[in-house]
Amino acid sequence: MSLHAQDDPTLRAAQEDRLRAVWKPPSGWFFRWTDVNNNRIGVWYTLTAFGFMLFAGVLALIMRTQLAVPNNDLVSANTFNQLFTLHGSMMMFLFAVPMFEAVSIILLPQLLGARDLPFPRLSAFGYWSFLLGGVFVSGSIFFNAAPDGGWFMYPPLTTRTDLSGLGADIWMLGLSFIEVSSVAAAVELIVGVLKCRPPGMRLNLMPLYAWYILVVAVMILFAFPPLIAGDLLFEMERLLEWPFFDAARGGDPLLWQHLFWIFGHPEVYIVFLPSIALFAMLIPTFAQRHLLGYPWIVLAAVGTAFLSFGLWVHHMFATGLPKISLAFFSAASEAVAIPTGVQIFAFIATLWAGKVKWSTPLLYASGSLAIFVIGGLTGVMVAVAPFDWQAHDTYFIVAHLHYVLIGGTLLPLFGGLYYYWPLITGKKLSDRMGRAAFWIMFVGVNLTFFPMHLSGLEGMPRRVFTYPAELGIGWLNLASTAGSYLFAAGVLVLVIDLALSPTRPKAARNPWNAGTLEWLAHPDDEDWGIRSVPLIESRYPIWDQKDFVAKVDEGRFFLPDAEEGRRETIITSVLDARPVSVIRLGTPSVKPMITAVALGAVFILTTYHLYLLSAISGVVTLACVLWWLWDTAEIPEKPEKPIGHGMHMPLYSAGPAAPGWWAMFITMMADATAFSGLVFGYYFYWTIHSDFGAGFDGPGSAAPIMALGLSLASWVGTVVAREVHARGQVMIARILLVAGTIAAIASLFAGLRCLDGLDPKANVYPAIVWVLTIWTVVHAAIGAIMQLYTLARSLAGRMTPSHDADLRNITVYQHFYALTASVTYLTIGLFPETGL
Amino acid sequence: MRGWLKRAHGLRVTLWTLIVPPSVWAVHFLFSYLWAAVSCAKIGRWARFPTVFAIGTVIALVVILLAGLIAWQQSRTPGDPPPHNEGTDIDRLRFLAFSTLLLSGLSFVAVLFTALPVLMLGDCR
Amino acid sequence: MRGEKFIAIMGLCWLLAGCNRHQSTLAPFGADAEAIRHLFIVMLVGAVGIAGFVAWLMRRAVRAPVGEMTHRKGMRLVLWLGGIVPTVVLLGLLAYSLPYMRPRPVAPADLRIAVDGEQFWWRVAYRAADGAPVLSANEIRIPVGRTVAFRLTAGDVVHSFWIPGLAGKMDMIPGRTNTLVVRADRSGRYRGQCAEFCGLSHALMALDVVAMEPAAFDAWLEGQRGPARGAVADVAGARLFAAQGCGGCHAVRGTAAASRIGPDLSRFGQRATLAAGILPMTTANVAGFIRHPQATKPGVRMPAFPQLSDAEAMAIARYLEGLK
Repeated sequence: MSLHAQDDPTLRAAQEDRLRAVWKPPSGWFFRWTDVNNNRIGVWYTLTAFGFMLFAGVLALIMRTQLAVPNNDLVSANTFNQLFTLHGSMMMFLFAVPMFEAVSIILLPQLLGARDLPFPRLSAFGYWSFLLGGVFVSGSIFFNAAPDGGWFMYPPLTTRTDLSGLGADIWMLGLSFIEVSSVAAAVELIVGVLKCRPPGMRLNLMPLYAWYILVVAVMILFAFPPLIAGDLLFEMERLLEWPFFDAARGGDPLLWQHLFWIFGHPEVYIVFLPSIALFAMLIPTFAQRHLLGYPWIVLAAVGTAFLSFGLWVHHMFATGLPKISLAFFSAASEAVAIPTGVQIFAFIATLWAGKVKWSTPLLYASGSLAIFVIGGLTGVMVAVAPFDWQAHDTYFIVAHLHYVLIGGTLLPLFGGLYYYWPLITGKKLSDRMGRAAFWIMFVGVNLTFFPMHLSGLEGMPRRVFTYPAELGIGWLNLASTAGSYLFAAGVLVLVIDLALSPTRPKAARNPWNAGTLEWLAHPDDEDWGIRSVPLIESRYPIWDQKDFVAKVDEGRFFLPDAEEGRRETIITSVLDARPVSVIRLGTPSVKPMITAVALGAVFILTTYHLYLLSAISGVVTLACVLWWLWDTAEIPEKPEKPIGHGMHMPLYSAGPAAPGWWAMFITMMADATAFSGLVFGYYFYWTIHSDFGAGFDGPGSAAPIMALGLSLASWVGTVVAREVHARGQVMIARILLVAGTIAAIASLFAGLRCLDGLDPKANVYPAIVWVLTIWTVVHAAIGAIMQLYTLARSLAGRMTPSHDADLRNITVYQHFYALTASVTYLTIGLFPETGL
Repeated sequence: MRGWLKRAHGLRVTLWTLIVPPSVWAVHFLFSYLWAAVSCAKIGRWARFPTVFAIGTVIALVVILLAGLIAWQQSRTPGDPPPHNEGTDIDRLRFLAFSTLLLSGLSFVAVLFTALPVLMLGDCR
Repeated sequence: MRGEKFIAIMGLCWLLAGCNRHQSTLAPFGADAEAIRHLFIVMLVGAVGIAGFVAWLMRRAVRAPVGEMTHRKGMRLVLWLGGIVPTVVLLGLLAYSLPYMRPRPVAPADLRIAVDGEQFWWRVAYRAADGAPVLSANEIRIPVGRTVAFRLTAGDVVHSFWIPGLAGKMDMIPGRTNTLVVRADRSGRYRGQCAEFCGLSHALMALDVVAMEPAAFDAWLEGQRGPARGAVADVAGARLFAAQGCGGCHAVRGTAAASRIGPDLSRFGQRATLAAGILPMTTANVAGFIRHPQATKPGVRMPAFPQLSDAEAMAIARYLEGLK
């Protein structure tokens, strides 16, 4: 197909018909929900997260009403504790993080000129998991069963079943489920940014939003798993009485605090950076020039991501750790302000250098920046440990964190809403209502939260359902309450504006005259995403590349057709975005939804101690996953296809060239991080006990070494199988896979032998040995299932020496498994017994 | 030294090299924390002169400095005039190298931040 | 200079709130809280300056004519204002603030007070250099001008020991012992409160703090030893106290009641408040609390005694108030 072929309008119309047919959404009252297109999943995701935000906001209003006057009794202590726990948990887990993922699922393919993300069904799975888990957790308040231990859930208050009820289990299991879906979305976004960019979009031309998303998704990968590890220990204590946090049996409540805040502090940046990313998109548009200091912004994003993992103990300044440890974290907490400052000044410099077009989104951006700066400055104050000893757990912190989160997450999102609404709906929101909403909210935020600085310094602790009149903080609290209603009124104006949108006329295409790729979107958009995948030569192609929009629309770039009737997108190389292959994308299917329901059932049934049903759901989930995977990595009907301009791209890829391999690698990074959380636990107990493990017959060395040997045999079997398979010796590879499976199952039993005679309820030492071992043998079992799956693929003719993605993917798993098994068995077998 | 630095141009630059300086900071930070935690919890005090810590810090600073030097050399690869945002191999290299240089700067400062408490607070209380 | 800042802060505070003087970080009576307040004021002045500067710069940036800022100048702005200046300022702040972290030195002869957090009250034991510990609850007395070391533990869940006017807070964590060393500089009656969420009545877990002149303190502590005085003042109340099994949880020195489960009541009548700083100490309040403790403090461990008549409850209350 030459360039001139696209001059023919009938050819173009025929291409468009084919694309339209391929990307046609499913219909019917049920099947329309089986859609997987990022446009639709992203919108559902966004609306759901927005709904949870409004719900959590109403909870906050009830709390503020209770606190309006001293000694109020509008709600009981019991209700109030549920309110603040749910408010915090929902805003974090059901609004801020999912909202970033939702917005990214909508925007990322458009920013990258891709037809969709690489794993559309994974997005759908993430959405249904989120909806299910979110309704489960938030609905609990209507049954007076909501979690009431604070969003940080400190044991032993929450692990002692005599002090806390079902709510703690609902929090732990419901949110674990959502954490799984967050990690799934992170995998999708990382692979999307690294592998689905349009040809020519080298790393230095990537839109900054994509940089931020990459960074934030990687942060999720390292931040959420420690919490998942903590959740595991937590539920083991609640359901099985294993004493991880019970001091009487050698546990320590502080371990939870460590694991929670290793997640909890990066979390703050996980929800803050995407909003800065929105700024980085809209500020150049309204300054009508390139953003100044692109590498500086990348520095800031990457630098913040790293430093944010060195801050967690600043939530534990008052726990009595050695001062020197606190000082390390105090230092890092101050250092993290440097990259944050860099971003703000890069924005200011851009506005300074450009010709500023004042607009509603820019109003939100600058207003939220003002609020954020105040929150950032109080953040530097509380990073100073001695001041934090006073401010910690008081309303000063409540003020600080709301300034940060409203200025750094909520208002930027609203600004983004005004900016991107035309992109999603084709219609502009009302400038007048938007400005009114902004000013009402701006005044409301300051009236609510500024007085809290003072009420905190005046001795008002957090999480109190009432306070005595003698503290003299009644007026401050009344002002805060009035402000919160004002803020809510502002949100209401915004919601009305959104609701009126369907009655308004369509806006022009690219109404803000932006320069980035996502503004190719047409008000009467088609479901295919982008007409042809462009060749990128600039950071702002719409501004800089000649006839860019027309060329895209006329299909003059890559992949303008869907000849084989398949959904496709281009895969490119990581650094320079050279086209590598074309992949076939998942089509609408019920599988993601059913899998999400089955997995949700595992968590929800466990909450109610229905272990048998939960185990059955687990088996069903596994079956669903295998059923789902069976269609993936399919062998194409022809080896390659033309994508235009005389280029031919393979339709199959395996190993590091394939998105699936990256997904496996990234997932295993998260898995390894969760595991390291457990290992941290083991060595943590060792440091706090001078006699860790004394008085117990440990697993000895023989059984762990045996288990390790078998695990490594399983690993070697898989690696060798991959090699001989690639050389065409399929039969030998199959035999090796069988041998590997047998070794894995044998290692499972050998691993369980390590636990003979160890009672996990007796003391934390046997309990942590149990957890590490169980983690490892479960991974052995999963490895065996993967080996059998690959064998089945080979026997079914779905895997051949030239199409061996499955085998390459499970080899990645086996590398990580070998690492896990080595660490576990060497730790429990040789340490601390070898006299250390 | 000159010739050695010139050779830096030939080194491969990837996303992994970009995160070398902050990774060094992270390792140094973890090392500092564990060193303090273990010496306070297991030994009950720390050495009058924290040799281990000083050596670790110097190594971290040197590695960051080296990464920065290489990145600085690479970011000066001759090519088009600033702001270097074309879709060429050289500008992509310059971008990654300059970002690495900036991250080296931040990481260097951050390691100094981490070291400061040891200089100023000398015990386990 | 410092005085002026202090007046400015307090002025603002009074304007907004009509501040309290007994549970405030801004009205310190201890040396540590005073130092932290000083640190805060220094940082506040800096923060206000920075916020004002950024706002001014932002305004300037938006209104500047095109061409005023070139690429080169812009990069220099990012380097200096975004990179170098914050680095120097923050390094300075860190170096300035680190010495504030050094704990106050404690000598073997210093007074030690063990405080143990329970849902939702405080167990207190004074350990002077000599002699047996003196037990109390929900009220702490300390001498002015002397170093006092608090030994902080928790019996059930995590609590946090916070007397805003005295020093920063310190958590009380089951299985761990934390130390907080303080020095009060002004005498008076103050209040502290649990600062870590500890369950249903977390908001209702406060304590009274009395800073006394050293001589008065020594005399008071000496007076705490020995059996409860007034233990026989109200015979009917005393009999009811015993008959209802109050001694199963509470101790009154010199009587059969010696359990350590609940607060020690040996000098109950000396305290100014009831139920861990929640109610004023009146006979009616005490009687009401005995009959329906849950009404004052949801989740409290003390069982209700609804079977007691008004008169009986008042008798026990009078007996308890007589314990001095």
